[in-house]
Amino acid sequence: MRLPRLFRTTSFRLTLLYAGLFSLSVLFLFGAVYWSTVGLMSRQIDETVRNELIELQTAAPGGGLAELQQVVKEYAARSPSFFYLLQGADGRVLAGNLPSLAPELGLRKLSWRSEPPPAGLGNAAKGIRGYGMKVADGAYLFVGLSSNELRRMQTALDRAFLWSLAVTLVLALCGGAAMSLGPLRRVEAISRASRDIMGGDLGRRIALRGSGDEFDRLASSLNAMLNRIQALMNGLQQVSSDVAHDLRTPLTLLRQRLELARRRGTNVETLHAAFDHSIRDIDAILDTFGAILRIAQIESGSRKAKFTRIDLSELLEGLVETYQPVAEEKNQRLAGAIAPELSIEGDRELLTQLFANLIENAINHAPPGISIGVGSSQNARGLEAVISDSGPGIPSAYRQKVFQRFYRLETSRTSPGNGLGLSLAAAVAELHEAAISLSDNHPGLRVTVVFPAARVSPDADVSRFNGEPADAAHRGAARLERSGP
Amino acid sequence: MKILLIEDNRETADYIFHGLQEKGHVASVSQDGREGLFRAASESWDMLIVDRLLPSMDGLALVHTLRGGGVHTPVLFLTALGGIDDRVAGLNAGGDDYLVKPFAFAELIARVDALGRRPHQTAVETVLRVADLEMDLLARSVRRAGRTIELQPREFRLLEYLMRHAEQLVTRTMLLENVWDFHFDPRTNIVESHISRLRSKLNKSGIELIHTIRGSGYSIRAPA
Repeated sequence: MRLPRLFRTTSFRLTLLYAGLFSLSVLFLFGAVYWSTVGLMSRQIDETVRNELIELQTAAPGGGLAELQQVVKEYAARSPSFFYLLQGADGRVLAGNLPSLAPELGLRKLSWRSEPPPAGLGNAAKGIRGYGMKVADGAYLFVGLSSNELRRMQTALDRAFLWSLAVTLVLALCGGAAMSLGPLRRVEAISRASRDIMGGDLGRRIALRGSGDEFDRLASSLNAMLNRIQALMNGLQQVSSDVAHDLRTPLTLLRQRLELARRRGTNVETLHAAFDHSIRDIDAILDTFGAILRIAQIESGSRKAKFTRIDLSELLEGLVETYQPVAEEKNQRLAGAIAPELSIEGDRELLTQLFANLIENAINHAPPGISIGVGSSQNARGLEAVISDSGPGIPSAYRQKVFQRFYRLETSRTSPGNGLGLSLAAAVAELHEAAISLSDNHPGLRVTVVFPAARVSPDADVSRFNGEPADAAHRGAARLERSGP
Repeated sequence: MKILLIEDNRETADYIFHGLQEKGHVASVSQDGREGLFRAASESWDMLIVDRLLPSMDGLALVHTLRGGGVHTPVLFLTALGGIDDRVAGLNAGGDDYLVKPFAFAELIARVDALGRRPHQTAVETVLRVADLEMDLLARSVRRAGRTIELQPREFRLLEYLMRHAEQLVTRTMLLENVWDFHFDPRTNIVESHISRLRSKLNKSGIELIHTIRGSGYSIRAPA
């Protein structure tokens, strides 16, 4: 089971390819060695033999067969390392130390490997390499040299080649297998984790080795994806159970009220009062539904296509102006410290609701006498909008929870709201890739919304704000771009 | 007014139909998109109330087709709860106003009255008058009994909207949408607070002109 899987891996296939390439290069290497050793030796033999043949012919200037016979006899007696044969047209040996041969012309290789070599020539004659040629009167002349040395060299080289090839292949395959096994194990671990997750162990994550290699990066991406999916699933579960839970109470109250009115409502006035009260309750429930649907639509991200450039400063100024009389009625002070001409890409309607929600939260949850500030500025992080109040604030332990749907602090149970305001604000911020965070305002609550620099429009002339020098250079570049065609 | 209601839900249609009749309008109901389109184009109406989701033809396409055919009868769209894109889509298709279901009946009547009044206001008006209150739209100034009243831009827009719909019921939602461009339900008394500021500024030189219609909205009118 394990081996076939190994063979199917990409790295193993790559190994096979490399093994093939290595073998090919071994082949070429040996080809070169072969050519420069065995090849050279045989060329040298051929050269010597050819010279001997020429010498034989020059030594018999008349060119007659009898003369040649005489010369071959002399040479055969004088130089024992050469093999000579002069045979007549009838195949009879006229001179030399070799037995009669078929009169083949040109380069020929003689060997007596299985049978013993011709008598009196010794082991040197086991292999002979030489030239045959026609001479006068249809006679045949052959001169050769022993090729035993050459053959030994050839054999040695062949053996070395085969061994090298075998070792190369074995090493390549073993190395490939070893290289494949590591990644295979990692991939196997990822598949195993995925199967576990599919099997229902939703909290399971892929283990990282900590080396920061590509598998670690893949695993952390997958883990991040799983976290996101789980967060969404939890959100969905949370919402369904929260909706059920949150609506049960008002619906129960509504039912009780209607039943009571039916039993006791003897006059029109009581009935009308009960009706009015019930309609208000139903409106509140519908309102909750509307908010849930709205959040879901915002989270779907479809509004992004309709983003336009928005003057955030003007939007915030407008909200301050809108809410000032409301705050004053509660004896609170609402003031804006808004840097002018800050603009971003966004959805005006949703951003209005986001900041309206935050300001209303401050107004509704803070007691009379406090002051509320709406500020905005541009800094290195991007464009920052801050809604702060000097009210009771939110203990740090609850600051993350308040963004959950329907979450309401015990202290605010009695103030108006359905516990969806901050969830909606968070959804709108998310849509704009903005970060929303709560912090301590010493005293009170400080809500910061940061729109990252990329979202911030370069049109805003922000040189009058104390941005950082690097920021200023960047803005200069942005301005230059705009002045182009 | 002669009003055609194109709405497929029978209960909703009945609810609106009877309500309109009670208020003295002549209403007629069509429960299908295609039939509604035919009737809207072939008869003469003062106003159309069109549901967004209809069988056989969706409300947007219906109004779009009507407008393409040169029919400019005012259209009030009815949209489903929570549809944040519906308003813009409806207005783009040629609708004049929109109302999110479910709505209070007073709200519907106020919208119908406001829409029905529109054609008479096409003539360029530069001065709005209610009793001794006078608003000069060009000079952006407000005077009461000859004395100038300083208003903030938002207060000016609020008063302008009320005066353009003088003698009519103007609901809180209408004010939020048209004066503040708020398309959600705020959890504070924005409208109430601003109205009370406006009243205190106006009433320095005269009696109350902005009347609260309990549970519904406001109306500016000369004292009887």
